[in-house]
Amino acid sequence: MPKYLPIVMTLIIVGLAAYFVVSKKNEHKKIEKVSVSKEANINTIGTFSKQKTCSVPPQFLKQMKIPQPVIIDLSQKRFKGIALHHGKEFNQTLHPKIWEQYEHFSTYAVDTKGNIYLVPTPFISILPTTFNLQKNLYKLDSNTGKISIFMHFDDVHPSANNPYGLNAIVYDCDDSTLWAAAIDESDYSSQKGVIYHIDLQTKEVLQKIEGFDVLSMVLLKSDKGKFLLVGSARDNGLHAYRIIENKLEDKAVKLLELPHANEHIRKIKIIANNQLELQSIPFSYTLIAQTAKQDRTIHTAIYKKDIENWSVYIQ
Amino acid sequence: MSKETKLSIGLLLVGMLLLAVYWFLPQDVATSNSVMPKKTVEERVILPQYEKSIYQNIPQVQSYLADLKKNIQKGEAVLPLQENELDSDGRKVQNILLKDAEFLKDTKQGSTLLHNDMMRILPAIVSSMDVKTKNICQEHTCYQAEKYNFVTNTTTRAIVNVETSDVLSVEHYAGMQPDISLRLTHIAQAIALHAPEVKKELGFTPRKKDITMANVRGTMKESPCENTTHLCVAPTFTDHRKEQALWAVVDLTELKLAAAKWAGLGKTTTPACISERSLQNRYIMENYCQKDSYLEKNGWKITYRLTGSDGLEIRDVLFHGKKVLTSAKIVDWHVSYQQKGGEKLDTTTETYIEGRRVEFVRGEEGDYLFGYNDAMGCPLFSTSVVLAFNGPQVRALKNNDGFMLTQDFRNPKWPMACNYRYENRFEFYDDGAFRVVGVNKGRGCGDTALYRPVMRIDMDIGTKETFWSMNKGAWQVKPQEFKEKVPNTKPYAYKITSSHAASKGYYIESNHGQFNDKSRGDNARIFVTKFAQKEGDQDLLTLGSCCKLEEEGVERYVDDTVSIKAEDLVVWYVPHVRNDAKEGREYCWADTFIGDDGNVEIKVWPCTVGPKFIPIKGGE
Repeated sequence: MPKYLPIVMTLIIVGLAAYFVVSKKNEHKKIEKVSVSKEANINTIGTFSKQKTCSVPPQFLKQMKIPQPVIIDLSQKRFKGIALHHGKEFNQTLHPKIWEQYEHFSTYAVDTKGNIYLVPTPFISILPTTFNLQKNLYKLDSNTGKISIFMHFDDVHPSANNPYGLNAIVYDCDDSTLWAAAIDESDYSSQKGVIYHIDLQTKEVLQKIEGFDVLSMVLLKSDKGKFLLVGSARDNGLHAYRIIENKLEDKAVKLLELPHANEHIRKIKIIANNQLELQSIPFSYTLIAQTAKQDRTIHTAIYKKDIENWSVYIQ
Repeated sequence: MSKETKLSIGLLLVGMLLLAVYWFLPQDVATSNSVMPKKTVEERVILPQYEKSIYQNIPQVQSYLADLKKNIQKGEAVLPLQENELDSDGRKVQNILLKDAEFLKDTKQGSTLLHNDMMRILPAIVSSMDVKTKNICQEHTCYQAEKYNFVTNTTTRAIVNVETSDVLSVEHYAGMQPDISLRLTHIAQAIALHAPEVKKELGFTPRKKDITMANVRGTMKESPCENTTHLCVAPTFTDHRKEQALWAVVDLTELKLAAAKWAGLGKTTTPACISERSLQNRYIMENYCQKDSYLEKNGWKITYRLTGSDGLEIRDVLFHGKKVLTSAKIVDWHVSYQQKGGEKLDTTTETYIEGRRVEFVRGEEGDYLFGYNDAMGCPLFSTSVVLAFNGPQVRALKNNDGFMLTQDFRNPKWPMACNYRYENRFEFYDDGAFRVVGVNKGRGCGDTALYRPVMRIDMDIGTKETFWSMNKGAWQVKPQEFKEKVPNTKPYAYKITSSHAASKGYYIESNHGQFNDKSRGDNARIFVTKFAQKEGDQDLLTLGSCCKLEEEGVERYVDDTVSIKAEDLVVWYVPHVRNDAKEGREYCWADTFIGDDGNVEIKVWPCTVGPKFIPIKGGE
């Protein structure tokens, strides 16, 4: 037996070494897995509260002695372009013909001086000018009440296969900049939407993030930092980009999904502490395809801190 | 050194070497033998190919429909739960609620009874009670009942104190759908098992045991169709070996298979919410918008595809190997409405009807016209407003003398007011004739509509072409591009022939109502132009005005100085169709009513237009 002792000892040593190596390697693998899932589990943007807006009403309304509040109407239902409703029960409307010159708008943002920035939208029929109009960001001047092209985007190319261009906007009170989005480059197989961060003074694009089709956006501050919340044009999800030192992080994380697959978030409002109102529409990168009395579904999304998750209800 | 020691050193070196190699190998390679990579299952959508009538012979469906009718005839709107779904308290609760005015509040529209089903009756669940009810039910036996209104898509939930027979609460939830009854579960299973598409996909005739029951319950609750006004569930056939499942979406409002989808198993690939519309959109985009399809039948060889705004297009059509068409499609539907009172019309501001901006044009004698242009096309990434439903379908012609390739386009809310439904149809006859057909199925915004589908037909007879018109009994060559109203000349007002041989080509037969499809004729205008790539060979955006009745939009391509003798020709054909909503005379119209089973039924009075091309035979 002593004769074979070296062989036995060697086999034991190799076996022990093999056990050590395999278990060490698998431990390494486990750690990787945990870190991946932890990374993926950042759908908690933390708790947040309703924020005060820094926007002020357009100054020309004062000159025209139109009292607040005023409703900004971009619904297309009765007025092309923009209309402002005011007075008792909002039964008076300001809608000069000149506000129709750039056709239809989908959403707006108001700055600290009362300027209204508008993004375009195609509507029902495609006219020879429709695609070009989708390449511009518009400004309704606070003092003069005139609408003009604020910025033209050469890299926005609407087409028959996707008639949309710039389509979402939000004003950042922290640094007086605009966040805007375009979805013109996207097609059925690839998502090539762009988010622009724009300096209002210099009209310079400070940052450009590619690869996400945004249908709506809002800025939110929570106990975990500042976020750009975006409604997706491609799915029924609400996603969040973290903003660090005025820069958007590259990747968005999905916070929640609406109950119905074909609903896309068109408007996001922070309505109370840890509570959002999400207005959704069916969206398919085509022109408006149906007429119905109620064309939006309104959801309430509540962030539940204790379980770090969201509950979504249809209102 | 002994032989054993040498062997030990050898073993040690080899062992260490192998361990070193293992340590430095990439993780996935190192574990490839022990951990199989996850199989990726390709998700695939299957759309129904059959009418819903094939499900009405299923015994469970038959008996359900018969019970519904009997119930309505008895003057009762709510179909009660069957005995086997109730215990004695449940029976008592059902009897109480079927007489309770508040519970039955939404079961009538005027005097018309609406289809309602009692879905379940069970001991009350605390979470569905308010504090007051909860206090009562802690001391007494309470049951909760849920019914579903199929017409209004509303769920009603009631809590009943069984001991005192008091109805403690009744709540109506619009747009919400409950868990379904056992009877409907069995019907859903029966429809899924009966569906020919499911059998074909599975490759065998499935039985009840093949349906994954756990998934059925879970999915039934959470799988509304995209059209959320319908109650849909998704029985599932699971193949654990291949790690995939076939989800059959069954529409219980219409009692039919709505769609099916292959998906992988597990949380990441299992659709949490299968939606009929999303499945349709994906299927249509991937199969008909992103690539051409091919059809060979009865001697015909056809390439076809769905366009962004020009509906269904057929291309490169051959009959027994001979060229017939380069392209045919309907590029636009001009829709206009005629109204009196044009003299008072204020056109300085835009007008919207049901959310659509409309164009106004002054007409004659104080009339005015308003309307818009409807483009048909792919359901995603397009400029269409009336979207493709299902894919193109091939069907036999009524007289069995050929087949048709047809595509349905709809606004999802059709037949509500100001929503439209069109059909693009191409008929191919066994004798080599073909017909380009536009079908309008209403409903539009009113009963004074004029519909004008703009058809573009790019012929290809194999050589250059010549166009002829019948004039005083003799054929005359049309020398230049032209437009004119199609005369009532029978049998044929026009022919298009090879420029080399007048005996080779097609007569053009306008529709005067002779095709036995209840059509009232085309009343068309025709344009013939020399082919130009930019004039509609690719997708055309909105063409012309909706409402200038003297213009079809094609005028921009007609130059009466351009010769069309021995050229590649394009025929533009624009029928003018007036709708009618008068009872007994309906045309291009659709309406909804409550049927004798309490469900919504849609009645359609289509109008069918378009010219037929008949091959010239003999040596004319």
